[in-house]
Amino acid sequence: MSDAGLRAEVRNWLEVQWPGRLRVSATMWEATPLSRAWMTKVRDARWAVPRWPHEWFGRAYSDEQASIVEQEFDRAGAPGAGQDRNNLPANTALRFGSDALKKAFVPGLLTGEITMCLLYSEPGAGSDLAGVRTRAQRDGDEFVIDGQKVWVSGAATATFGMLVARTNWDVPKHLGLSFFFFPMKQPGVDVRPLRQVTDEAHFNEVFLTGARVPAANLIGELNDGWRVLQTALAYERSYMGDVARGPRHGERAIDLVALAREFGRLDDPSMRQDLARVVALRRLNVLNSARAKASLEQGTSSPIMSLGKLAMSRILHEEARVRTAILGAAGLLTGDEYPISDDTNFLALNAYFTSIGGGTDQIQRNIIGERVLGLPKEPEADRDVPFNKVRGG
Amino acid sequence: MSSIAAAATTATTLEERNAIRDAVRDLMAARSSEAAVRATMDSAEGYDPEVWAALVEMGIPGLLVAAEFGGAGFGPLEVELVMEETGAALLCSPLVSSGVLAAALLARSGDLEACERLLPGIAAGSTIATVALTGEAGTWTPAGVDVIAGVAGGGPFLDGVASYVTHGQIATALLVVARTPDGIGIFEVVPGAAGLTIAPLPTFDRTLRLARLEFSRTPAHRIGAAGWPAVESALRVALVALGGEQVGGARRIFEMTLEYAKVRVQFGRAIGGFQAIKHMAADLLLEVESATSAARDAAQQLAEGSKTAGEAVSLAAFVCADAFSNVAATAIQMHGGIAFTWEHPAHLYLRRARALAQLFGTPQFYRERFLRHLAPDDKWP
Repeated sequence: MSDAGLRAEVRNWLEVQWPGRLRVSATMWEATPLSRAWMTKVRDARWAVPRWPHEWFGRAYSDEQASIVEQEFDRAGAPGAGQDRNNLPANTALRFGSDALKKAFVPGLLTGEITMCLLYSEPGAGSDLAGVRTRAQRDGDEFVIDGQKVWVSGAATATFGMLVARTNWDVPKHLGLSFFFFPMKQPGVDVRPLRQVTDEAHFNEVFLTGARVPAANLIGELNDGWRVLQTALAYERSYMGDVARGPRHGERAIDLVALAREFGRLDDPSMRQDLARVVALRRLNVLNSARAKASLEQGTSSPIMSLGKLAMSRILHEEARVRTAILGAAGLLTGDEYPISDDTNFLALNAYFTSIGGGTDQIQRNIIGERVLGLPKEPEADRDVPFNKVRGG
Repeated sequence: MSSIAAAATTATTLEERNAIRDAVRDLMAARSSEAAVRATMDSAEGYDPEVWAALVEMGIPGLLVAAEFGGAGFGPLEVELVMEETGAALLCSPLVSSGVLAAALLARSGDLEACERLLPGIAAGSTIATVALTGEAGTWTPAGVDVIAGVAGGGPFLDGVASYVTHGQIATALLVVARTPDGIGIFEVVPGAAGLTIAPLPTFDRTLRLARLEFSRTPAHRIGAAGWPAVESALRVALVALGGEQVGGARRIFEMTLEYAKVRVQFGRAIGGFQAIKHMAADLLLEVESATSAARDAAQQLAEGSKTAGEAVSLAAFVCADAFSNVAATAIQMHGGIAFTWEHPAHLYLRRARALAQLFGTPQFYRERFLRHLAPDDKWP
């Protein structure tokens, strides 16, 4: 079909089907029954994952064709398209799951009936994620799970978790990990909110004590979890370059120039230099993304794809710094009565969400240096040591 | 804008642009090697006539010149792309002075006679033209113009000083921006004219040629009736060209640094394996890619005549200048002692970066300009 024909088909379908007033959370962690009915329609019409094969709700589309579908959904303000790019668990299931697992999970993941949290980090395994100590012990058709996970968003509502646990302690750390779709609603799972630096609690600690997961929910081969995790992390990081939270108190404060005007700082030449510098960073990120997308559509990959998260982290910290300079003493205040002060302080602290979460800036620079630029890998003291001989702390 | 300028853009396809880029890249590899650059930068002319002839053969000096005047009739998009390649190779040439700034100014002058007389030579490379447009202040703004035009019995004449004139000492056609009783005007002066002194300036970037022009009742010929808006419009095209040159230079010195980090061994390891070096490299990659996006977007917007083209050009002007300066400076640090030697090419890139960051306006100036685009109704400091 021609591109124009495809565009017309999507547009017509949306005109007939889309009620035009549904709100569905972008993360799908908070999907409602109403939104599930819509997502089911999108899935069954094969618009949710058009890049995927026909066998799994897809159309085997090229990137170019799939972006036409996404553009039309965006235009209509309709959710549900683009999940072949941004639905992390669904992509992981499709790529690594057995047929039985795909059958069990993919339909529900695409509608939000099944929601997933990420059970990766641990108190002793942050940047060094391969050092996880959560234990998965085989017991008949199941694995028994004991350990502690941290920085888990949506843990209280998710029906499943993408779990990385150790299945072999006698081999070096990367070789003894396995990846599971782990059922969250069971005894032995204790979710405790984690109070963050921003005084919010979007994350949880998850304590796992004698919890169980069917062996059938293993993703990829036993002890091959590191490879699965690498792919899942790459999806997540490419997504983090595009999205970041804005201020808490509405859109008004996003425009730094308007903020400087409001605080009477637009006539300060050094402030003007700073403003131009920082506004430029966000502008460049948009231009970079557009260029990366264009090369993708021409069938060439771009190193820019892997730079997004690092760029966004710099943008957020720099914007917060300039915002703080604009406010001056008003930055001493907080609370709902001082929304601009509150936003500024919030953004200054929340910038770390992007510069630490999903891999710190320093880990990102290692990844860019090694995988994009081809520089030699970091030496690792524990690389060839059986994990049960490795020092923790 | 005149009909001459409006007619001067022919659209190319991506394939055609890639072909132009590949051809220039091959020419640079063959004729603008480091050794060639070193030889040319110490020559009297500051450019290699044989390489200039090869560029002419490919139609490069006439890229912006309309087909009716013997050029290719292309626009900023193609110029930016070509400059990425010449910038990477540190080409020594009057390409920006003649084929970009002077050609663009003539096209915008509204003076058909001058276009017919000068543009074919510029496109054919037989005329090397340049524009004298700032005084000792070196601001490239109307306030910085220090040449004053008067009229006596025999016609117009010029008095005053123009400095930082790129390739002024080798130019065979001089366009001079001067103050007149009715605002800024554009004039043509013959290089050998009476009362004109052309003094070469010693340049820190030896691949560049600059001259100081002193006018003393120098006879001149008024070009069209266009004033500062035509100059400003030509400067935008020149800034896009410079952006391409900066991006190309930044990318090449970055690649050279990366290669060195993979082969230079200390403490028994390639230094690129150390995070101190690896993290610098990751940051520089982001800087190079961002500057590339800015330069190409400015070229695209200028080619399309977009309403926000001025904003995009200002953004590219300071982003590309800062990126090249930072990448070239950091490259020396990453190399260590080897790049502190004259023999190593890194300093050639830093010299070029420092030069291009001043020509046609500083990064500070274009940051301020960018902000004025964002907040046009506010009072400026």
